[in-house]
Amino acid sequence: MKNMLYKEFRLAMHPTAFLFMALAVMMLIPNYPYYVTFFYMTLAIFFICLGGRENHDIFYTMTLPVAKSSVVSARFIMAVILEITQIILALPFAILRSTFKSVPPNQAGMDANAAMFGISFVLLGLFNFVFFTKYYKDPDKVGKAFAVSSIIYFAAMLIAEACSFAIPFVHEHIDNTLSADMPYRLVILAAGIVIYAVLTLVSYKKSVKSFCALDL
Amino acid sequence: MSDILTVDKLCKSYEKFRLDNVSFSLEKGKITGFIGRNGAGKTTTLKSLLNFVHPDSGEINFFGKNFSEAENEIKQKIGFVSGGMDCYIKSKLRTISTTTKRFYPEWDEKAYKKYLELFSLDESKTPSQLSAGMKVKYSLALALSHNAQLLILDEPTSGLDPVSRDELLDVFLELCSGGKTILFSTHITSDLDKCADNIIYIKNGRILAQDNMEHYTAGYRLLELDDEGAQILKDKLIGCKKSRHGWSALIKTMDCKDIPQAQPADLEDIMVHMEKEEE
Repeated sequence: MKNMLYKEFRLAMHPTAFLFMALAVMMLIPNYPYYVTFFYMTLAIFFICLGGRENHDIFYTMTLPVAKSSVVSARFIMAVILEITQIILALPFAILRSTFKSVPPNQAGMDANAAMFGISFVLLGLFNFVFFTKYYKDPDKVGKAFAVSSIIYFAAMLIAEACSFAIPFVHEHIDNTLSADMPYRLVILAAGIVIYAVLTLVSYKKSVKSFCALDL
Repeated sequence: MSDILTVDKLCKSYEKFRLDNVSFSLEKGKITGFIGRNGAGKTTTLKSLLNFVHPDSGEINFFGKNFSEAENEIKQKIGFVSGGMDCYIKSKLRTISTTTKRFYPEWDEKAYKKYLELFSLDESKTPSQLSAGMKVKYSLALALSHNAQLLILDEPTSGLDPVSRDELLDVFLELCSGGKTILFSTHITSDLDKCADNIIYIKNGRILAQDNMEHYTAGYRLLELDDEGAQILKDKLIGCKKSRHGWSALIKTMDCKDIPQAQPADLEDIMVHMEKEEE
């Protein structure tokens, strides 16, 4: 797998992935729907898969002495590394944003707090589930897989943002940076991480199954 | 035949095409031409060998081992070249090679450098900057540097000019004299006239013949006939078709002992008339 990951980062990596990762700095924007920040990383994953199609990545990999399932495993590990790295990079900027006491809370959506990160994990898990399960059924139709997964991502994002307005508990205890409400937000963060892990794992298993059954 | 590669009763059905009990084996250190017209099943067969396509039934053994049970080990010993390097065409050859060699514990850097020099390949170039012939040579260099014993070449000479094709055929002959085994799929039969020891002929998903090249071509003669001659011999003729001087057809050598005008047939003559026979 070490060699496969080397191949992923040396050959398959799309340069925009670094640019989009750097967009973690968007946490400093005073008013912004912060969930969009992590959408950029899904765009990078799409570009990597699109580039893979144009560069015959699957053909190249299949001629190497690796199992067919390794094609999927390496891509999943790469995607998870990129997603989590961006989240980790976003953390210090989110903390910094919360120290700007003179700047009012985010007017464009959820505050950049632990709950926002938890829900971002859920959104990325949903993306991984929808995108990869569709992509590995037919890697040539990567655009379709991305279109559907993007719609799901934004629909879930809108629901998450709407909850801040529609559900008083969310508005009062989740969508803020008050220390007293930190336990609630940490629960959401923990639940988000678990959901992300489960969705990604299920997606991985389904993707391996479809890809291994596919005639290339 | 040795146990370099044996394919036994390989079947694969698609909606409009079927590989039907494809069986063949390869002789060590020889070039085996795999011929058939476009759509006959050559690429599907080769893809089945490497698990790109899942056969419905049949067995594939490389070096005496079942492919599905020893995929990794087998892939270490084979090189698959499909019409030249068209993967990562904007990456430098150096980057592709550096990545590729990590997968092969038996990678021979000295051999790699030797083939780069032999084929005049510049590592700072990208595949997109190489001619079609040079792309094939680069793919060969990669395969040979991990000490592949069997080279599976899917139409490696398609789209090449005659001089580049001839150069490649010389390379194949050189490799065979060094003990490599080559399975060479093509529909350009003249390439095989120059270099193949054996041939496997596939037609409509079925193996029509597997034979020594000279023995196979010696089994047929080519006849140019007028209307009367064509009528008299019609039961013995194969793939009779209109030609400039009347009719052209194949005839089995054993059926034409008393026909002095019968000419030796090359692989192209045989293939053209065999394909005509069905119509």
